Amino acid sequence: MTTPILAVRNLAVEFDTFGGVVNAVRDVSFDLHAGQTLAIVGESGCGKSVTVQSLMGLIPTPPGRITKGSARFMDQDLVTTGAQGVRGVHMGMIFQDPMTSLNPTMRIGDQVAETLVVHKQYTRKQAQEAAVSLLARTHIPEPRRRAQQYPFEFSGGMLQRAMIAQALACEPAILIADEPTTALDVTIQAQILELMQSLQKENGMSIILITHDLAVVARMADQVAVMYAGEIVETGSVTDVFYHPAHPYNLGLQQAMPSNRHPDRVLEPIPGSPPDLFSPPTGCGYCARCPHAMTICDSHPPEMSPIDIASTHEARCWLHHELAPSENNPVRPSS
Amino acid sequence: MIRYTAKRILSGIVTIWFITTATFLAMHAVPGDPLMNDKAVSEEIRRNLEARYGLDKPLSKQYVIFISNMLKGDFGISFTQQNRRVNDIIREHFPVSAILGILAVVIAALGGMLWGALTALYRNRLPDITIMFLVILGISVPGFVFAATGQLALVHLNAMVGTTVLPVAGWGTFTHMLMPALVLGLGTMALLTRLMRTSMIDVMGEDYIRTAHAKGLSAQRIFLRHQLRNAILPVVTVLGPQIAAITTGGFVVEYVFAIPGLGRYFVQAVQQLDYTVIMGTTVFYGAFLVLMVILVDILYGLIDPRVRLST
Amino acid sequence: MSEQSHKFTQLDFAPLDHREDHESIARPSLSYWQDAWRRLKQNTRAIISMYILIALALFTMAGPLLWQVDASRQDLNQTSQAPGFVRQALIVPAYKRWAAPVDQAIPKYGDLLPEELASAQGLTAAEPPNTQTVRLIWEPVPGAGGYSIYRNTRPPTSMQDLGLPLSSVDTGNKHGYEDRLNLKAEEYFYSVVATDGFDEAAVFSTLQLRPQLAITHKDALERDLSNNPQPGDEVSLAFHPLGTDYLGRDMLARLMEGARVSLFIGVLAPLAFVIFGVAYGGFAGYVGGSIDNILMRFADFVVALPFLLFMILFKIAFGIGPGESGIIPMLVALVLLSWPATARLVRGQVLQIREQGYIDAARLMGASNHYLIARHILPNTMGVVLVTLTFAVPMAIFTEAFLSFIGMGVAPPTPSWGSMCNAGVKTMLAHPHELILPAVLISITVLAFNLFGDGLTEALDARMRGRE
Repeated sequence: MTTPILAVRNLAVEFDTFGGVVNAVRDVSFDLHAGQTLAIVGESGCGKSVTVQSLMGLIPTPPGRITKGSARFMDQDLVTTGAQGVRGVHMGMIFQDPMTSLNPTMRIGDQVAETLVVHKQYTRKQAQEAAVSLLARTHIPEPRRRAQQYPFEFSGGMLQRAMIAQALACEPAILIADEPTTALDVTIQAQILELMQSLQKENGMSIILITHDLAVVARMADQVAVMYAGEIVETGSVTDVFYHPAHPYNLGLQQAMPSNRHPDRVLEPIPGSPPDLFSPPTGCGYCARCPHAMTICDSHPPEMSPIDIASTHEARCWLHHELAPSENNPVRPSS
Repeated sequence: MIRYTAKRILSGIVTIWFITTATFLAMHAVPGDPLMNDKAVSEEIRRNLEARYGLDKPLSKQYVIFISNMLKGDFGISFTQQNRRVNDIIREHFPVSAILGILAVVIAALGGMLWGALTALYRNRLPDITIMFLVILGISVPGFVFAATGQLALVHLNAMVGTTVLPVAGWGTFTHMLMPALVLGLGTMALLTRLMRTSMIDVMGEDYIRTAHAKGLSAQRIFLRHQLRNAILPVVTVLGPQIAAITTGGFVVEYVFAIPGLGRYFVQAVQQLDYTVIMGTTVFYGAFLVLMVILVDILYGLIDPRVRLST
Repeated sequence: MSEQSHKFTQLDFAPLDHREDHESIARPSLSYWQDAWRRLKQNTRAIISMYILIALALFTMAGPLLWQVDASRQDLNQTSQAPGFVRQALIVPAYKRWAAPVDQAIPKYGDLLPEELASAQGLTAAEPPNTQTVRLIWEPVPGAGGYSIYRNTRPPTSMQDLGLPLSSVDTGNKHGYEDRLNLKAEEYFYSVVATDGFDEAAVFSTLQLRPQLAITHKDALERDLSNNPQPGDEVSLAFHPLGTDYLGRDMLARLMEGARVSLFIGVLAPLAFVIFGVAYGGFAGYVGGSIDNILMRFADFVVALPFLLFMILFKIAFGIGPGESGIIPMLVALVLLSWPATARLVRGQVLQIREQGYIDAARLMGASNHYLIARHILPNTMGVVLVTLTFAVPMAIFTEAFLSFIGMGVAPPTPSWGSMCNAGVKTMLAHPHELILPAVLISITVLAFNLFGDGLTEALDARMRGRE
């Protein structure tokens, strides 16, 4: 395959809190290829937002800090050089709640134009014109009038469009979308996703999509990374991850999701809750909730191992070990 | 914005009516006849006053007379100063108080925002800790102590330098105003600093600041264009009540620094139980403060588009 | 991975028995108030403030038992005395007139011009100086027609800096002066300038001395300072650890009595208006509808009254009566003007709580209104009310101090911290302790209440819960 546009290796982030150090992200690695969409899925608190925010240099330091790892993007390591020269220009970002993510006392047009004034040295007037056409590109009706309005005069969906316009102003190579549709109505969600896809087709950017909505993943992503307790536990193409789950957690997720093919199936919740990241477990993070846990899972952390040499499918589970029992092994493809 | 302003003005007028009525009732709750308590009132003034306020008439009639006088802007005649009109007293002494007050409000507001922003920027570091310690002191020390200490400091400063750097008391030039305005503004400045700090820290945690970082803006630009304006909003809302605090605080400062303002006059009137002056100045101050609150509300509307543009 | 795998055996891959602990809660559960108290204890500033407040309460209540000095007793030998240890005083006989020496050999009126006059030689005290009298003598200046005598508290540097002009002697042969003007046991610099009878010479001579604290024989007997006082003896004067005020009243005793007044108003008034506010706001919020509307509209008007102006107005309105010290009118005025803030707050809380699910749940289970208010609504507003109360105390103390300072507060001779400050400001240049002591006490009290209130707010703030 071609060299990835963004290559993250062994990233780890911790936070100092009143109760002690939280290991929010422990050893995360992934590749993002040009023009592709990588979805990072996982439940709340699994570290998916922290991962991308640390790439953008948005982790407040202190209390947070990146303790190890690297992130190669355009011949530089974002971890060591910082993201100041990259963000806004080569990497744009949109957030979960568009209602609070825009400055309430600044006109929408000015907020979109600001990026251009700062990074491309546009004059105020040029930037305003560009902002209007960006708003038009994100399908905001009457963009010229809307540009003069304030965020409180916009609906949530319109605000998310404005956010996208703002993030794409400098035509970045990567768009990071941190739960972009979670706060929106279902119909609006679809429109926003469609907009992102069409814009991706237009200018060939890559997207990192953070979400906990598997339907969104199925619709948008090329590659998927499943995160649990600060680690990526499984990664691969959408087909691999959805149709050949290689990690019990992913399997649990699939079983907890309604399906068209088995409409009568009873949904099975995953019992328990994620481990306390104040003191990460010594073994596998999922061990305590895993119905297939083995003695080793409690004492030794599993490592990422390829499932299929031919594809990018990898998982972090002892069940793939050669010594693991093959009968009743839910993740062994053949048995 | 027009509807917003009109609504403020309307409620202001009703408030002024309420203040006037409360003043009237309070003064008529004084046991006995206020005119009888002071034997110094001459027969002539007494007759004059009785006719003027209709003191022989029933309370409701007196109220009507009182209100109509107030509506005409006629506050009556001083008890203790023969035939001096309260209006003249206000006209003569209020400008002094107003200048002092405005200067104090400006010092307090600018200082408060500046220190507050500074403490937020240097959060939990030495400048923050130092300023916040001073702020706690500023909030806990009564205004008259500032006034007295300020004067004491001037006395020692002048003695040390050997000439009059700043005059210790009196009124006239800008140098006279500096220390009184400063000590008058200190308490409010402390309060605003604290508020500004909290507000700045709150804004720092807002999502749109994270967005601004994600847009790759410099720290300065984020501070100036995004943080400051949003942080000032809550500070502006308390400016109205704080102007009231500074106005009444002026009584003490004028008294200590021997400044011929209306506040000192009011304190004097209170000590001499000069009822008409007390009533007149109370209503006048009340109306003035209501006006200030309306102005602050309008100012707030101008800063916050959510208020300005909503109907 | 593959190298590692050799260390593992089949046993490692045996199914794991799931223990029961994956749902266990790591941290102990605490009730709201337990949690608040735990949080408060962690706040050093709040805890220090709490100790200060306890100390203040002891100072006010137990203090007068330990320091049984009458706060209104005037010790005229020690007026405006700075804080310090026990003072020794010399017992002197009753004052006898002293005639300044006159040298008859010298003409009464000199013939030299002012600029030709020399400075006085041999300026000295005729007898050991004490605070009853300082007697100065000097050698007559040839050709002088008189002398001016000055007194300063620091060494004079020039003719313009001689200090207080005490007197002028208008004959050149009278070469002594007796100073009895408000003498203190402090360092004095006496300067003598010769004159031609009207105008002063350009030179002066200075004597530095420190009068000894003296008390007359009669006073010493009256004040019970000694059983058998003899002139020339030293006796210990009444002890005033924090000094005295301008009338010689013991500052410590006055501060204690003033604390009683200030804290009485400062604690009782907030308590009264907070209780009233809770009742008013709670009622309005619970009843709701148009009654709520009318009640709150009225509260809004009361809020709009300029607070201190109306304090003064009400104080005048209620305060005229014989033998009235002014404490009760101030209390009434404070309550009348301050309740709306609490009422608003409690109403808001009640409105919010009323909509909560647990209220509906309780109602469905047949809880009466009475029960709902007592069991659910009031306890849930208590946190906010407590915080309001802590912040209302400094406000009330400030108000008392302000009113007393402008002479509208507690009537003398009852001391309050504010009225003590008012008296202290008048003498602050010469005797700063009379202002500083009550001012510091006000500040410390208010500071302690503010910091404690801050701590309480943080401790009770529900948003902070679970953040750790």
